[in-house]
Amino acid sequence: MNQFIQELTKGLWKELPPFRLLLGLCPVLAVTKSASNGIGMGMAVLFVLTLSNMLISLVRNIIPSKVRIACFITISATLVVAVELLMQAYAYPLYLQLGIFVPLIVVNCIILGRAEAFAAKNPVHLAIADGLGMGLGFTMSLTFLGSIREILGAGTWFGYPVMWDGFQPFTIMVEAPGAFLCLGLTLAAMNYGTRRQLMKRNREGSEASASPCGGCRACSIGKSQD
Amino acid sequence: MSTSSNNDILLAISTPPFWHCGRTIRKNSLHTLIALTPAVIMSLLQWGMPAARVMALAVLAAMATEAVCQTLMKQKLSQDNGTAAITGLLLAFLLPASAPWWLVVIGAACAMGIGRMAFGGYGANQVNATLVGWAMIFVSFPFLMDPTASQLQTTLADPLLKLKYFGAEAVADISVIDLLLGNQLGGLGSSQVGALLLGGIYLVLRGVVRWEIALSFLGGTFLAATCLHFVDGSLYAGPFFHMGTGSTVLAAFFLATEDSCSPHRRLPMLLYGLTGGILVVLIRAFGSYTDGAPFAVMLINLLAPMFALIRSHPFGTGPRKAGSADWRTRA
Repeated sequence: MNQFIQELTKGLWKELPPFRLLLGLCPVLAVTKSASNGIGMGMAVLFVLTLSNMLISLVRNIIPSKVRIACFITISATLVVAVELLMQAYAYPLYLQLGIFVPLIVVNCIILGRAEAFAAKNPVHLAIADGLGMGLGFTMSLTFLGSIREILGAGTWFGYPVMWDGFQPFTIMVEAPGAFLCLGLTLAAMNYGTRRQLMKRNREGSEASASPCGGCRACSIGKSQD
Repeated sequence: MSTSSNNDILLAISTPPFWHCGRTIRKNSLHTLIALTPAVIMSLLQWGMPAARVMALAVLAAMATEAVCQTLMKQKLSQDNGTAAITGLLLAFLLPASAPWWLVVIGAACAMGIGRMAFGGYGANQVNATLVGWAMIFVSFPFLMDPTASQLQTTLADPLLKLKYFGAEAVADISVIDLLLGNQLGGLGSSQVGALLLGGIYLVLRGVVRWEIALSFLGGTFLAATCLHFVDGSLYAGPFFHMGTGSTVLAAFFLATEDSCSPHRRLPMLLYGLTGGILVVLIRAFGSYTDGAPFAVMLINLLAPMFALIRSHPFGTGPRKAGSADWRTRA
């Protein structure tokens, strides 16, 4: 049970897909024009990811390792088609908003990445936990980015006006450059926070500085030059 | 020096002896400010107090943003070297005199915050900081950034807008003298073409700005505009029109030449400016925006590292042959 919770929670912060692993950036940049788009896309990915993780984990011992990628893609494509049809039936406006990015979930790095790195090697319940956690993290990140961009770029949040009267929307935020700006600034803020935390931990005297960027020497090079 | 054994890091250094010419960032900034003064005076004569308001606000906001960022980043405060003031002033030059105060403040804050400080400070930015701020507010608030739409109490017209919507014949009677004297609608400072030209030449003579970039930028504009004009004179305006309108001169002397965003050998500088000048005309003729100069400068800023690759090979090594290994391995 402990491991289940661990796999579930790692996707929420420690390995947050778009912000920590930088995976699946295509929908992150493209569909986060509004918070509701972000949450819709996130839910679609959550659904596909959880089920594909589960299915792949179920059949992981049958799939020959040489054709595993093809099998993963077939499974995720099946699920994506299901999501697409469901979305057309029950959430048509959202489907129109997301457009090509729903079918593109098939080749989303997160789906394949989790299938290859986790589901193909772990039992079913852990794979489900992993898919749920990653999917929730992805949904959270997309909603967060979508909220920032919608509030600044359109003055609304989930369609409701939240800014003061006479607010001039900062339109660049809902255009393509705004996505890169928001993502970059969010990453910078997260890195800053992590570094502060690490420095604090180091100052408290624990020698084992649990660096998240293990093998990379970049930081130590910078230090030795100072 | 734990990194000295790391052969992957290529540092381009020239050999001593070195020679200090006494030049500092602050002196360069002072010369730039002196060069901008005629344009400031001309824009005050043309637009009056609203222009003074925009310029003062932009300079102040840029310096304040830099101070705040430097405090947060625990850097030494460097407002006294004048680079932030220049960024703010150049931004103001691109704005219409009627810009509301919050637009100016947002633009200056974006220019300094995202354009420069996010990359680490002066000299670290890849794209001209002024233009980053300008582009962000230009894309966001096109109506307020458009002098034709917001500057109502004037009889002047934006020549580029005329060219865009009424063709080259509508602008054929605009004299170059009028353009040089700033009798045109545009950014409050960028339209003072004659004054900017004067300041630009001063900077070139002072050696603050390299003549290669400025000259080839204007040359590229001239070349491209002439070619297009000969192809169809009724559609495409002549070269002097393109050089005298919009922010071509401002871009050539003050924006494209920012040290950290431009290459530094003669041939790369010439190519860099030439590309920019050609892009100005291409964007104006075939793009959706009326003035292509700022966008052209941003684009060549991004291309600058590519131009910088054009370099002579070190002494003792042959010219690089196609298909051969890196020259460093054969030295």
